[in-house]
Amino acid sequence: MRRTVVTGLGVVSPFGAGVKAYWAGLAAGACAIRPLTLFEATGFRCGLAGEVPDAAGGSLRRTRADRLALTAAREALDDAGLDASERRGTALVVGAVGGGMFEAEAWYWARARGERVPGGVSALRTMLPGSHAAALGHRLRLEGPRQTVVTACSSGAVAVAEAADLVADGVVDVAIAGGVDALTRLCFMGFNALKLLDPEPCRPFDRDRRGMSIGEGAAFLVLEAAEHARARGARVYAELGGHGVTTDAFHVTAPQPDGGGMTRAMQAALGAAGVPATAVGYVNAHGTATPQNDRIEAQAIARVFGEGGVLVSSIKSMIGHAMAASGSLEAVATILALVHELLPPTASLVTPDPEVTFDCLPGVAREAAVECAISNSFGFGGQNVTLLFRRA
Amino acid sequence: MTARRGVAITGVGVVNAGVVGPSAALGAWLARPRPAPRTPGPRPAVRVPEATLSALVDGGEARRLSRVCQLTIAAARLAVGESGFDPNRDLSRGLGLVIGTELGDFTSTIAFADGYLARGPAGLSPLLFPNTVMNTMAATTAIAVVARELTLTLNVPTVAGELAIARAAAAVASGRADAVLAGGVDELNPLVGDMLEVLGDHDVRGEGAAFVMLEAESSARERGAPVLGRIHGTAWGSLPARPWGLGRRASSRAVAEALERARLGPPGWIYASASGDAERDAWEARVLADALGPASRPTSSLSPLLGHCAGVGALRVAAAAWTARSGLLPDDAGDEPTRVSGPGLVHGLARGGGHVALVVG
Repeated sequence: MRRTVVTGLGVVSPFGAGVKAYWAGLAAGACAIRPLTLFEATGFRCGLAGEVPDAAGGSLRRTRADRLALTAAREALDDAGLDASERRGTALVVGAVGGGMFEAEAWYWARARGERVPGGVSALRTMLPGSHAAALGHRLRLEGPRQTVVTACSSGAVAVAEAADLVADGVVDVAIAGGVDALTRLCFMGFNALKLLDPEPCRPFDRDRRGMSIGEGAAFLVLEAAEHARARGARVYAELGGHGVTTDAFHVTAPQPDGGGMTRAMQAALGAAGVPATAVGYVNAHGTATPQNDRIEAQAIARVFGEGGVLVSSIKSMIGHAMAASGSLEAVATILALVHELLPPTASLVTPDPEVTFDCLPGVAREAAVECAISNSFGFGGQNVTLLFRRA
Repeated sequence: MTARRGVAITGVGVVNAGVVGPSAALGAWLARPRPAPRTPGPRPAVRVPEATLSALVDGGEARRLSRVCQLTIAAARLAVGESGFDPNRDLSRGLGLVIGTELGDFTSTIAFADGYLARGPAGLSPLLFPNTVMNTMAATTAIAVVARELTLTLNVPTVAGELAIARAAAAVASGRADAVLAGGVDELNPLVGDMLEVLGDHDVRGEGAAFVMLEAESSARERGAPVLGRIHGTAWGSLPARPWGLGRRASSRAVAEALERARLGPPGWIYASASGDAERDAWEARVLADALGPASRPTSSLSPLLGHCAGVGALRVAAAAWTARSGLLPDDAGDEPTRVSGPGLVHGLARGGGHVALVVG
């Protein structure tokens, strides 16, 4: 099995387009969760979101989500410095949930009102999560193995894990993987219906947390066989040392109360990387700020690392929960934390929950040179994944 | 990582309008396949009768679960049941699950939206919302069959079922998993039919689910499991094409890579994804000719008999295992089967360029 390294990064986030803007926002502990402008939010408990300003440009004939994905994927490929022939053989794995639901909704809403919408019923095709991989593969001329994975909120991270397997097993030398999701009415309404949204910007691990903030974005990573990267002189951000993917098989939305699936994912990542828990200095938590997730995740982290045994933070406090994109956005944040020796904070944390036995980095980023860090992502249906990154 | 391991098919479960049951039921149907009845109208389709589904799920599940989840669980249980695999007993590493779907739970998504359009925020159903995420079938099936390892939902046009099984087989072959339940499912929806027609996908649509239980052959034999077939090699890739479009190129590595991994010679017969979309079917024929040479091989699709959906794509893999055992390749017109021998190829090519190849024996 080959060592897998990260040689390119690309991001579109509520801080704007580009990795630079993303890291600047995270490092500053800035909150990009603001009143929603993309569609009407009247009548709902929560009217805030981590909305991407100007949706990263691109042709308006493309769906919002495709524009986010293309911008981020292009940045990652350019960052990796791959030429056209190398890109042709590159595998593509996309984590997605909403697809181009935003445009499909517009069509369906108009249809319900008896209005005509250009494009007609074919607008519905953009609903399918697989539409992004088709657009990216065509536009970026990627002709290697292609997959779209849908594991709810962990999709972006699972995509990275899938791509890592393709590289490690020698199927391809290079893969690009990540997640994308755009804000949609259905997602916004659904989480409001489940009463999981905080009317204020979310506060992960805070004693008084009241729920999530939704968001949108895209993040892609270029993964490469270490020897291939070395041979072409590529810059290496970090090594993807291992990953663990498990399923709770408990409930379609609620996590397993004892955090068993989350624990197994973290333990599997450590085992795959061949590192003890003491080697990990930072956990980029799933940290959605729902009372249930944060409590159970903290228990699981404690089971693996010991109480207080590792620094923890949730960047959802700054960018919201970008659904399928969150796992890959957080993977990028974790890598940048290793590179810059600066751990992003939990921005809105004021009163730490006494049941959470970790320093969750309230308010301000913390300088720390850690050797290994993990990123957790957990989705509806108990779909758990942990990615472990090592300094290059 | 260990060297590549043999991948055995130890269970089959099929639920569609033409055939329901484990491998024996599928084999009996394949020996003399009959076209499943189609719904009348301008766009005929092949729908699973409600009575068929009711007989396979209990009342509680029928009330709680969406129809596409019921189809999935019914077929999944048949496959696990035939294999005799017990995730709580048989392996310390447990059971994985990979589901391919082209459309997910469209019905619930539309119902959720309709609730809001009719009554505003008060019309939103928190019970329906989780079904709008395409992994709902995997989430509910993982609970039903106790799958606690890797669980994936893969979304791609046309070849989702084949891709799910190829992905699962790769996991077992590489040693990353010891047992994975893999298959495909789709449910008919009239609005979706309209959409696909406009996009140029002129397949006769079907619905249903099909699953195969895949295990490391050594583990399967150790516990005395039935070995219904083997997946010798898999590969997937993409041919250049616009989304939902057709490509010009016929040259692709997927078939060659699957054959290399299988370490077998050229296949003697083929299950293809051809389904009545004339332009795509022609593209697939060119791709196969480029990969295998111009000499024709006995080829079957089953789509003319069952309609097309991710469930039928997965069913082709189970059918290929039967063909390898029986030496019979069914005829898509329902006539006498063709006698064949040796392993065969299950091949899928989608509009947009998704491409999958599995060598099955």
